[in-house]
Amino acid sequence: MSDFTYFAQVLVSGLGTGCIYGLIGIGFCVIYNASGIVNFAQGAFVMLGGMITQVALTRLGLPLPIAAIIAILLVAISGTVLERVVVRPLWDRNATMFVMILATLAAQIVVERATLLAVGDQPRTLPVFTDLPPLKFGGVAVSLQLIWILVTSCLIVAGLAVFFQKTKTGKAMRACAIDREAAALQGIPVKRMLALSFALSAGLGALAGVLITPTQYTAFNVGVPFAISGFIAAIVGGFGKPSGAFLGGLLLGVVQAAAIAGFGSGLKNVAALSMLLIFLFLRPGGIVGASK
Amino acid sequence: MTAAPARILETQALTARYGHVQALSAADIHVCAGELVAVLGPNGAGKSTLLRAILGLASTTGTASFHGEPLPRQDPVAVSSRGVVLVPEGRGIFGPMTVSENLQLGAYRLRGDKAEYGRRLARVLALFPRLGERLSQTAGSMSGGEQQMLAIGRALMSDPKILLLDEPSLGLAPRVIAEIMEKLALLRDEGLPILLVEQKAPAALKLAQRAYVLVLGRIVACLDPRDLSSHDDLAKYYFH
Ligand SMILES: Nc1ncnc2c1ncn2[C@@H]1O[C@H](COP(=O)(O)OP(=O)(O)O)[C@@H](O)[C@H]1O
Ligand SMILES: [Mg+2]
Repeated sequence: MSDFTYFAQVLVSGLGTGCIYGLIGIGFCVIYNASGIVNFAQGAFVMLGGMITQVALTRLGLPLPIAAIIAILLVAISGTVLERVVVRPLWDRNATMFVMILATLAAQIVVERATLLAVGDQPRTLPVFTDLPPLKFGGVAVSLQLIWILVTSCLIVAGLAVFFQKTKTGKAMRACAIDREAAALQGIPVKRMLALSFALSAGLGALAGVLITPTQYTAFNVGVPFAISGFIAAIVGGFGKPSGAFLGGLLLGVVQAAAIAGFGSGLKNVAALSMLLIFLFLRPGGIVGASK
Repeated sequence: MTAAPARILETQALTARYGHVQALSAADIHVCAGELVAVLGPNGAGKSTLLRAILGLASTTGTASFHGEPLPRQDPVAVSSRGVVLVPEGRGIFGPMTVSENLQLGAYRLRGDKAEYGRRLARVLALFPRLGERLSQTAGSMSGGEQQMLAIGRALMSDPKILLLDEPSLGLAPRVIAEIMEKLALLRDEGLPILLVEQKAPAALKLAQRAYVLVLGRIVACLDPRDLSSHDDLAKYYFH
C-alpha cells in the first residue's frame, strides 16, 4: 500500500467517526443555543440509542430500521424527561452554569448505572445496515456503513440548517438563543423551546449511537468518551454553531485517526485533548468564528 | 357628567424588589382607552422596574390588571399573549436575524393565517416605510433609530391591545426621536393605548394625556401636561 492510499484510508475512517462526533457536537449546540446550558448527559443519549436498538432487535425481534426509529424516538422523549425533571427546576431557580453541568453529569451517571443494572456490562453490537463488501476507490476501502454514516449525517446537517433558517419554530429557537427575555416578550414559549431542544439533541445523539454501533460496540459506559469528543467538536466549531460543530467533529475524527495511525491508539485521547487546548489558546472562537 | 372612561390597564400598590432593594413602592397608575400615558423620572427612578413589574418579569406584590383581570406573574409569555406588549429598554431586537425574521417573530402567536399576517405587515411597513426597504438586512446592522422602529414594529406585529415602551428615545438624535414620537401619536390616534416611559420629559409631554412622575421608586405626582406652565415645574421633581 502506498503512503498516499494509506493516508487516504486513515482520512476516510477518521471522517466516519468525525461525523459521529459532529452529530453529538451539534446536540451540545442545540441545547446551548436554546438555554445557555451545557448538557453533559449528551453521551447517555448516544449510548441509549445504540443500546435500545440492540435490545429491540435481539429481545423483541424487530427489524433493524424499526428498532432504530423506536430507539431514537424513545431517547428523544427521555431527553424531554431529563429537561423536565433535572434541568427545568434548576433553570427556574437561575442555577449557575456550574450547577447545571454537575446536574447533567449526575444524570449521565444515573442513566449509565441504570443501564448496567438492566442489561449488564457485556459489550453489544449491531449488524451493519447493508451487508455488502466495501467499495474500493483506488486502493482505499470504504465500508457501506461508513457511507451510511456520511450520507445520513450530511442529510441531518442540511435538514437542521433548513429547520433553523426557514421554519418558524427554528427561528423562534434561534431567537431564544439570542435574547431569551425578548423572545418571551414576543409570546414565544421559551420553556417549550427548551424542551424541544432537549428532544432534538437527544434524538441526534441516539441517531449517532445507532450509526456508530455497527462499526464499534456499545456498552453502558461508552457515553462519556463520546460526550467528551462531541464537546471538543462543539468547542472547535465555536460553541453554539451547529455547522461549526460538525466541521469540528470531522477535524477531530481525522486528527484522531491520524494520531492512531502514526503513534498507536494510546495517543487517541492525547490527540483529541491537544487539539482542544490548541483551539482554546489560538482560536477560542472556533473554526468558523473570528480568530483571537 | 360623563362616565369615567374605562381603565384598560391598572396597577394597585404594585411593589417590586430585587433581593432586599425595593425598586418600586406601591405604585398606582392606570391607562384608559385611547390614552397615551407617560411615566417620567430620572435615571434609576424605577421606570423600567414598573414596566417589568406589569409584565411579571420582576418579583412583585400588589396587582397589575388588564381589563379588570389580574395579569399572570412570572410568566411574560402569558402576559404578552393577552395583548400587553412591552418594547423593552435597549430594544431587545434579534440582532443577528433579518428585519423580516424579527417582524415574523413578533407575530409568533399568529398561526398560519397568511392574510392576517399580510395585513399586520402592511400596517407596520406603512408606519415605518424604512423597515420595508431593509427587510432582508441584518437587524443589528441598522442605525439605532431604525432598530427602535423595528422593535416597535415587531411589537405591533403581535396586534397588541396596549403598548408599553421603555425609553424609546434612548441614545437617539433629536430628529429621530421626533419621528418616533410622531408615530406613537399616530398609533394612539388609531386607538392603541400606550404607556410610555421616558427620562426625556419634553418629548413625552407633547403626546401624553397624563404623566406620572416617578422618583426613587415612588409615584410622586400625576400631571396634566396642559397645566404645566413651564418645565421648571417638572424639574423640581427631578432634582429635589
Ligand atoms: N436587576 C437588578 N438588581 C438589583 N437592582 C436593580 C436591578 N435592576 C434595577 N435595579 C435598581 O432598581 C432601581 C430602579 O432601576 P430601573 O427600574 O432600571 O430605573 P430606571 O429605568 O428608572 O432608570 C435602581 O436603583 C437600580 O439600581
Ligand atoms: Mg430604565
